[in-house]
Amino acid sequence: MTRYIPVILIFMIAVLVGIIVGPAHPTGEIIQLRISRVILGIFAGGMLGFCGCILQGLFGNPLVEPYTLGSASGAALGGSIGILIFGAISPIFAFLGSLGVGFFVFTIARMRGGLFRDRLILAGVVMSFLCSSLVMIIMVIGGRELYEILYLLMGYLGIIINAANRLFIILLIAISLVLIIFLYRYYRELDIISQGLETAAGLGIDIQKLSLIIFFTTSLVIGLTVSIVGAIGFVGLVIPHISKLLFGPKHLYNLPASFILGATFLLFADAVSRTITVYELPVGVVTSLVGVPFFIYLYKK
Amino acid sequence: MKAIETRDIRFSYNEKEVIKGISFSLEQREFLGIIGPNGAGKSTILKILAGILRIKKGTILILEQDLVTMDRKRLAQRTAFVPQETHFALDFSVEEIALMGRFPYLHAFQREEKRDLEAVEHALAYVDVMQFRKRPINSLSSGERQRVVLARALAQQPEILLLDEPTSHLDLHHQYRIMELLKKLNAEGMSVITVNHDLNLASLYCQRLILMHEGCIYADGPPKTLINKETLRRVYRTEVKIIQHPHKDVPQIFLYPEGASHENHNQ
Repeated sequence: MTRYIPVILIFMIAVLVGIIVGPAHPTGEIIQLRISRVILGIFAGGMLGFCGCILQGLFGNPLVEPYTLGSASGAALGGSIGILIFGAISPIFAFLGSLGVGFFVFTIARMRGGLFRDRLILAGVVMSFLCSSLVMIIMVIGGRELYEILYLLMGYLGIIINAANRLFIILLIAISLVLIIFLYRYYRELDIISQGLETAAGLGIDIQKLSLIIFFTTSLVIGLTVSIVGAIGFVGLVIPHISKLLFGPKHLYNLPASFILGATFLLFADAVSRTITVYELPVGVVTSLVGVPFFIYLYKK
Repeated sequence: MKAIETRDIRFSYNEKEVIKGISFSLEQREFLGIIGPNGAGKSTILKILAGILRIKKGTILILEQDLVTMDRKRLAQRTAFVPQETHFALDFSVEEIALMGRFPYLHAFQREEKRDLEAVEHALAYVDVMQFRKRPINSLSSGERQRVVLARALAQQPEILLLDEPTSHLDLHHQYRIMELLKKLNAEGMSVITVNHDLNLASLYCQRLILMHEGCIYADGPPKTLINKETLRRVYRTEVKIIQHPHKDVPQIFLYPEGASHENHNQ
């Protein structure tokens, strides 16, 4: 438990950095804007880290990330269609897109009998490619909306929370939190699955049912996240590995740690994205730029 | 009460029937070996009994309870399954692996209690891996790892132990240790079913053998009556010589290498 203390300290520093650091001097309104941005950062980073951890556990595959299952690409596609129609990012379209694609992935994975879990990855990757092509077509058609779509694809924490969307966003965050707390109860199952499906089934785990529950719940959470902040990459892939390096293999510790570490990482990345150039970069660009060398360093150690 | 009773069970992988109506039973405290050529359905039977594969037809009673309607965790409290070879993707400690055997007894978020820790302690001591308890599992040799897997199964405190070729990747010493452990467990009251490719080991340790052939039971009985030249020629399509073990009244099998004439060996 004491191993959490440094991680939480760094997290708190990240929150402070998120509020203080930036091109404008932090006064009244700016601070308010930054606080809402920090909240979005914690939410998005935490969800991506947590979902990455649980999916890598379920699939026993260190390369799986939240976007492998297609719901993020679906959100990007839905969001792009929304931009094409309304000229602005609309979370509802993005969310509907992720649900729709998630359902397609599910249907494809179920078409043949056998183990649902192992077909999900293939179906998810295939649908992601399809969505990317469709988004490209929309970008070409849209032309002037290209810039907005780019932010949706790379992720952006700077959406302005106002009276109109405040309640909606709070609701989405609350739902996501409830869903991941519900998922957290499977920490023991995930530990056991790392020893193979036969062992897991022999110990009384219903693999088919567990895969279904985790697929649907994470798809929902990722759909909600992406529809608000866009498809921020790298966090869900790499944070679980860092968490395992720090906390060992047990999912009891790893899942909450992945949440905190994901939030911390995204807050730092966002601070960098605001200050590194004159223009604000999409945060997804920074997560990969900063994350890759950091990850290589940690892995070498 | 019988430990296991099956009636006319059938199982198919993608339309292909691999278990074609099998009925047998296992007495309590019995040590049963399932033998047969590759693809005969041995492992499939074991996985069905462990609740890993689900049958469409037939009935299975585990200690008089219907397996199909039985709660999965309840089943895992009565039967424990040891797979052929376990790959440990995450490097848990030996103790943590054994503790996973308590999964069938725990709810989500329930902390392991004293009885769980005692069961693990006992299991680790039983298979003699106490000295490795804090070590990462992947730092052990495959023989030691197989004993840890056995400890995890024992931590389930089952009445029936199901083992899928438990010795197939092990050297002579570890084969011997695993089989001796199973013998000891059996003597203390555990019902055991082991799938075995090594006919000599099976003959030496099992009280009763079931010989599977193409999804059916070809023969069922003690090693002495079941293992004979004629049967092995038919089921394994191999010529063998059978002699009695020097210290035990069980048959042991010898192969004829290419070029050696049968007559010479019969002298």
